[in-house]
Amino acid sequence: MTKIIQTKNLTKEYDGFRAVDNLNLNIDAGEIYGFLGPNGAGKTTTILMLLGILKPTQGEVYLMEEPLSKNPLSLKKKIGVVSETQHLYKEMTAGEYLRFFAELYRVKNKEKRIDELLTAVDLLDVKNKKLDAFSRGMQQKLGFARALLHEPELLLLDEPVSGLDPAGIKQVRDLIEKENRKGKTIFISSHLLSEVEKLCKKVAIINKGRLLAEDTMQNLRKKLTDFIQIEIELVEIKKEIMDTLNSFNFVKEIQQENKILTLKVTTDKDHRAEISAAIARNGGVVLGINIREMSLEEAFVTITQKNISLLASTEEAAQ
Amino acid sequence: MNERGISLSTHSTKILTRREFLSALYGWGFYVAIFISFLVSSLILRNFLQGIREDNIFISSYPLNFPLFVSMVIISLYLVIVSAVSISREKEQGTLEVLFYGPVSSSSFLLGKYFTDMLLYLIIAGFFSVYFFGVSLITNLGFTVALGKAIFVSIFIASCVISFGLFISSLTGKVRSSIVWLIGILIGFLVIWFFQNMFRGIPSEALSSWLIYVQRTLNVIYYFVNWVSPFSYLSRGMESIGVGSMRPFLLNILYSVVYTVVFLTASIYILKAKGVRA
Repeated sequence: MTKIIQTKNLTKEYDGFRAVDNLNLNIDAGEIYGFLGPNGAGKTTTILMLLGILKPTQGEVYLMEEPLSKNPLSLKKKIGVVSETQHLYKEMTAGEYLRFFAELYRVKNKEKRIDELLTAVDLLDVKNKKLDAFSRGMQQKLGFARALLHEPELLLLDEPVSGLDPAGIKQVRDLIEKENRKGKTIFISSHLLSEVEKLCKKVAIINKGRLLAEDTMQNLRKKLTDFIQIEIELVEIKKEIMDTLNSFNFVKEIQQENKILTLKVTTDKDHRAEISAAIARNGGVVLGINIREMSLEEAFVTITQKNISLLASTEEAAQ
Repeated sequence: MNERGISLSTHSTKILTRREFLSALYGWGFYVAIFISFLVSSLILRNFLQGIREDNIFISSYPLNFPLFVSMVIISLYLVIVSAVSISREKEQGTLEVLFYGPVSSSSFLLGKYFTDMLLYLIIAGFFSVYFFGVSLITNLGFTVALGKAIFVSIFIASCVISFGLFISSLTGKVRSSIVWLIGILIGFLVIWFFQNMFRGIPSEALSSWLIYVQRTLNVIYYFVNWVSPFSYLSRGMESIGVGSMRPFLLNILYSVVYTVVFLTASIYILKAKGVRA
């Protein structure tokens, strides 16, 4: 599979301080990739290096499998960027602003494309309105339209939903998913972990300039905890059911509250079928089973606070 | 850079120039500068004509060159301010970073700024030509070859002024710093010019040993300033026309071209090194 972004030992130093330390990222084409880290972790520095705006102290950035340093302009033409703040030309109207960037990126049928995108972000009505009258949310959505103008292969989003209301967040999320379905690779750096969790298949966690984890959400959870909680709602809880469940080796703890059982089970495999079969054997009727997994937020806090690296195990797993 | 990169860079320069140029034409600064320069040169011409009316005589080889020179000084001040804040303003507003997300490089961006200001000056030079031609027809003061040469050489002088402004702008990250630096440097040039002229009038025998040292140091600094200050190219350019020989005229054009190339190249490298953020 084509590697859309690849960094090899990417390092950035400022007066002896390592903002980014030997970063190795691998992002496949078509992925939605979450790039997470606490404030000052080196996320923005990394993004600026991916865009060729900052020169790495050491290492190399590859975009679409070509070194960025060799042909930066034609590679950057294939990227769309939405940053936290849009920095618009306030004296322009939305239409003029997009027309300027459409010309810069040599977009064909630019008027049609501009109208298409303004419709997608719900800004067509304000096409001729000056940008100094735009709210933060409107500016953010216009930034999205600008980033998508030239049908980029890669979308780099730095805090893309910053300043948006819930409806705006949903609209942007839908837009991201739609672009991803079209085959675009999406790189998201965000503090809104719930959003990242909803969108991203794979996440990387960076802290103090170092990559601590890079994996799918499922694998990250597995690596961080040996147990998950399964909540089972029953019509009636019988003693035989409790005895059978207690006899399983993979069940480490059972809590009962009214007609709901909460089981702490090992993550070695999916035990739900085994559990529901045992309940049925003992005459129980299952109304519902829920798995309560570790959230991305919990994983993020665990990894960054303890500064634990999951990379070695990732490599082993890959081997 | 491969050919594709060059083509992208050229395209970016073209688009950036067009945007900047239209933005300047829709602004009021450009028209104010033109208005002031024409107002001042009209006042000078009025004084000339009044003198002729009163004394019935006016002796000058190139009567329209002085009003043109004064207009050039005013326009140069406008151009140097506009170019000195052009990069720092985009850095401060963050728009420069957004441009650099796409197919824009330091050189395409800087050349875009340079060509915009040059285009603005070419329009002004066109106005100068029409204005002075009209004046020569009305007043009989004569649209001489020297005036044509002065308008032509003014294009190269404007190029020096713009490159100098862009150089200051590339050094700074905020509009205020650009203005402070620009005013500081221009005042510095004036102070050096003033003291050098003051000392030049005093014979060495009348100076103490340390004042001789000061005089020599000022001479060296003045020599340096003469090559660095774009306004020196303005006065030298106008003087070269007065001499009547083609050599100093062409040499001044050559020096202006070299000056422009050196300052633009330096600005590109500084912008690359300092980055796009304020």
